[in-house]
Amino acid sequence: MNPPGSLADLDPNLDEHLSTQILAPSVHSDNPQERIQARRLRIAARLEARRREALGEYLDGKKESEEDQSKSYKQKEESRLKLAKLLLCGTELVTNIQVAIDTREIHRRVEEEEIKRQRIEKLENEVKTSQDKFDEITSKWEEGKQKRIPQELWEMLNTQQLHCAGLLEDKNKLISELQQELKTKDDQYVKDLKKQSDDICLLLERMEQQVKNVMKTFREELYHIEKAFEVERQELLASNKKKWERALQAHNAKELEYLTNRMKKVEDYEKQLNRQRIRDCEEYNTIKIKLEQDVQILEQQLQQRKAIYQLNQEKLEYNLQVLKKRDEESTVIKSQQKRKINRLRDTLNNLRSKYAKQIKQFQEENQSLTLDYQRLVLQFKELQKAMRHFALIDDEKFREIWLMNEEEAKDLIARAFDVDRIIHTHHLGLPWTAPDFWFLKNVGPISQQPQKSATQIVEEMLMHTEEEEAEEAASEPESYLDLPKQISEKTTKRILMLLCDESGFLVESKLLSLLLPLEQNECYLLRLDAIFSALGIESEDDLYKLVNFFLKYRAHRLSSSLQIESCSQASTEKASMEETSMGSELELAEQTEMEGEKEEGLVEGEKEEEEETPPYPWVIHPNDVVKILEAFVMGLKKPRDSRAPPRVQKNVRNNSKDSEYWQALTTVIPSSKQNLWDALYTALEKYHIVLTQRAKLLQENSSLEQQNTELQALLQQYLNSKINSELQVPPTQVLWVPKK
Amino acid sequence: MQDTVTTSALLDPSHSSVSTQDKSSTGGHTSSTGPQPSKPSITPVPAKSRNSHPGANFHRMRRIIAEDPEWSLAIVPLLTELCIQHIIRNFQKNPILKQMLPEHQQKVLNHLSPDLPLAVTANLIDNENYWFRCCMQRWPVCHVAHHGGSWKRMFFERHLENLLKHFIPGTTDPAVILDLLPLCRNYVRRVHVDQFLPPVRLPAQLRPGDQSDSGSEGEMEEPPVDHYQLGDLVAGLSHLEELDLVYDVKDCGMNFEWNLFLFTYRDCHSLAAAIKACHTLKIFKLTRSKVDDDKARIIIRSLLDHPVLEELDLSHNLIGDRGARGAAKLLSHSRLRVLNLANNQVRAAGAQSLAHALAHNTNLISLNLRLNCIEDEGGQALAHALQTNKCLTTLHLGGNELSEPTATLLSQVLAINTTLTSINLSCNHIGLDGGKQLLEGMSDNKTLLEFDLRLSDVAQESEYLIGQALYANREAARQRALNPSHFMSTITANGPENSVG
Repeated sequence: MNPPGSLADLDPNLDEHLSTQILAPSVHSDNPQERIQARRLRIAARLEARRREALGEYLDGKKESEEDQSKSYKQKEESRLKLAKLLLCGTELVTNIQVAIDTREIHRRVEEEEIKRQRIEKLENEVKTSQDKFDEITSKWEEGKQKRIPQELWEMLNTQQLHCAGLLEDKNKLISELQQELKTKDDQYVKDLKKQSDDICLLLERMEQQVKNVMKTFREELYHIEKAFEVERQELLASNKKKWERALQAHNAKELEYLTNRMKKVEDYEKQLNRQRIRDCEEYNTIKIKLEQDVQILEQQLQQRKAIYQLNQEKLEYNLQVLKKRDEESTVIKSQQKRKINRLRDTLNNLRSKYAKQIKQFQEENQSLTLDYQRLVLQFKELQKAMRHFALIDDEKFREIWLMNEEEAKDLIARAFDVDRIIHTHHLGLPWTAPDFWFLKNVGPISQQPQKSATQIVEEMLMHTEEEEAEEAASEPESYLDLPKQISEKTTKRILMLLCDESGFLVESKLLSLLLPLEQNECYLLRLDAIFSALGIESEDDLYKLVNFFLKYRAHRLSSSLQIESCSQASTEKASMEETSMGSELELAEQTEMEGEKEEGLVEGEKEEEEETPPYPWVIHPNDVVKILEAFVMGLKKPRDSRAPPRVQKNVRNNSKDSEYWQALTTVIPSSKQNLWDALYTALEKYHIVLTQRAKLLQENSSLEQQNTELQALLQQYLNSKINSELQVPPTQVLWVPKK
Repeated sequence: MQDTVTTSALLDPSHSSVSTQDKSSTGGHTSSTGPQPSKPSITPVPAKSRNSHPGANFHRMRRIIAEDPEWSLAIVPLLTELCIQHIIRNFQKNPILKQMLPEHQQKVLNHLSPDLPLAVTANLIDNENYWFRCCMQRWPVCHVAHHGGSWKRMFFERHLENLLKHFIPGTTDPAVILDLLPLCRNYVRRVHVDQFLPPVRLPAQLRPGDQSDSGSEGEMEEPPVDHYQLGDLVAGLSHLEELDLVYDVKDCGMNFEWNLFLFTYRDCHSLAAAIKACHTLKIFKLTRSKVDDDKARIIIRSLLDHPVLEELDLSHNLIGDRGARGAAKLLSHSRLRVLNLANNQVRAAGAQSLAHALAHNTNLISLNLRLNCIEDEGGQALAHALQTNKCLTTLHLGGNELSEPTATLLSQVLAINTTLTSINLSCNHIGLDGGKQLLEGMSDNKTLLEFDLRLSDVAQESEYLIGQALYANREAARQRALNPSHFMSTITANGPENSVG
């Protein structure tokens, strides 16, 4: 509606034109509401303008305080406000149409509702009246049915028809009215459509206008802002230029000042330079003279040098000659050497071939020798076997012979003892006690007790202790081997138990499972066996060493000062032990016999020892066992190696004690006893003589008695004979008488 | 054509011996190369390839070199160039793109024809430039800003829209749309359809795409008037965020018939099921579709407790108080931020229920009740609700037969409320006194930026003073934002919103 011309006269002074712009369309609008709206807008715009002025003043006042801040900022703010205004107004202008349409729509709706209500009312009225009429007609039908006369009926039918026609007409009228209304509504609709399209056109126009306006004003504002910036820039430039000029002037003045200063300084320096030059000249002259003198001296020296040079040259030439000669000689020697090298190479080759040959030869030889060696080894082994066999046989024989002799000797000794006993009891009337010598109990050849295996010992020990526990007091004194006896058996046992308990890791698990059902002692035994085999303990020496080690460790723990001592002790002990091992292989034959005794002795000694030394307080901690074992195994390795060779000679008998033994057997009856016997012999001989004399005398006596009795008998006979009675004085009387 | 031959020469030396000048360009590339007799020497080939007449034999070629004064190296395109052209020509059969270097890809994309079938290009090409060309070829006017600034998205959205617009149930094959689904599912975020065609009732008379001109006997058979069922489509689009539907027929001309504009119950139920299943939907618009109370309630029921829905637009429908009550229930059972019920038939009761929901709502930012008839009762209820509401920023009550009592209450609200930035009371009967009271309320308010009182019988003086207060508020807001551009943008953004309504 707004003619586009109104767009053209938009000035930078926006407010008034905006108002006119708004005014223009509204006045010419044929829509009253829009006109009202437009007027209102116009007024609002005017008010707005007034307000803006006031605000602008306020802003200006505010700006004045910031005047020197920037002109461009002011311009920007102004433009912004202006543009915001424009946008707001423009959108309002555009939306005005919508709002107007909305109001129109509301009005239309209200009216529509009213009309609708009226129409419905009307229709309802109509329905009521027509229903009445219809009822009337239907009631008349009933009446008509009673009529018999055709005229009446016809009349009535006519009237009915008339009524019906009237009803129909009424309805038709209503319908036509409604149709009319519909038609007008259709027209209205078409009009509305047109109007709406008009509105839309208007809306588009306004929008376009608005866009154009806004674009234009934006451009203008941009231009203004740019201008403001330009002006500001100009001002800035001017002020800066002024500043620059001022600075330049100051600079110039300073420059001048510097120049004059410089001139002065230059003059100064020139004077100084002149002075310096003169001084330098003098100096130069003096130096020149000095240097010339130096040059002369140097020339003299040069001459001297030249002479020396000549001399040296000659010398060198001579040397050169000599060297050349030598060179020649050396070449000759070189060729000779070369030749020699060739020759030597030849020989080397020869020697190499020879060497190879010899290697082959020696290899062959070596092979044959190794074969020989193998053969010999075989032979040697056989020999050894034979040797062993023979040794065994020899041993056996030796043993038999020994036993035989021993038996003989024992018989003799028994007889001697018998005699001695008889002599003592019968002749001397003294009590006789059988002499007790170790050798008397020996049977078989004397030898070193064989090294028992550690397990055997343990077994014995275990058995023994068991027994001991059973028949503690009853057991006769026993002795163990003649090994270090400072260890009590109980101690040993306890140590071994501890070892057994603590070093179970050395025993195979399979074995452990097998051991479960066994007796405690057996169990210990087998476990110890396994542990010893693991530790490398084979002989009883080792076992005792181990026990000793334990004890020493404990002692060491008790007093560290004893350590060195114990070490030395250990070494001496080791030595002694070796000695004993060498020495004690004496009496092989008596070994079996002696063993029991030895055991007894050991126990006896040990018991004594137990009495002597109080039992050790048990101080070895189970946790230390593994440490001790480790140390022990480390220590055990060395002696084991050194001891290996002597072991070979184990079978060689030690016969040092044999003679002693036999000697001892001979001296079963000591010489004092022999002397006694000699004295006894002489005395007995004398006694024998006396006795024989007495026997003779007794014989004589008896023969005399016999003669006496014979004579008595003869006398009796004579007396008792008849002749006597016959005789007055018989001889008998005579005899008798004396007798009486 | 020479180019192709030289390409073949470069690609396969044995090929060059046979190639003649009148050989077809495509045949030269795709035909078998194996059994052809190869030339004994390969060395002349590069020389020949440089020649402008490669098909000639050696002697003739030399002659031509001698005679051709315009020959220069610049005429011969590069091998890569030739390959690229070949790829472009055969893109439909053998689409090669990702394997190439970026610069070559760019070249190919610049020369691809926009007519290529979508099945080839849809998931392969992401280049915006290509889709820009596609769009410009199909549609003269393109507002890419409406489609998130992506030409590809725009292409697919408009393509789909086009298909939906011209889909005739029962006549068009549904596979047309379902086939497109796998191609466009990742790109379509917004579906905007402003017409749904009804099924054709008399196929003999009607051509597809035309409107039905059958008589009014269709009134009796309602069920077959269903429109396209969106269920499958909506379920298939994985990124769908906005659904803007109008059950309407455009350009029906003289075939007009009320029947064409029916939004049936089946339509309504299927639509409700579709939007209920779509969990990505943020904006749902169903305008100008004759949605009455029952249908509105069906739709709103399906939207209850929707996880992401933010905007619901049911403007220009026939929703009454019951529908408004449903919307009020939705307010308290969803995260709705924008509710538009403009131009419906909401009356006082509906407004009261909305006000009740609004009183304790913390999500809703904008409420539009333009062109309803809530009258003073509803207006007062809303004003009461605004006294407790701390979220609403925009309220449009234009054309609601409001008068002074509402204005009195609203002036109290203005004095209290600090969140409202825009109120529209145009086209009401506020009256002079009401205007004064609103002015009083405005004098205490520091947050309101827009207050539309046009055509509401308010005295000009009070309107002017209110305008001043608004101006002061705006300046204050601008100072607060400390960013002049922000202020400008809010104004420009508000401008079109007002004009659209």
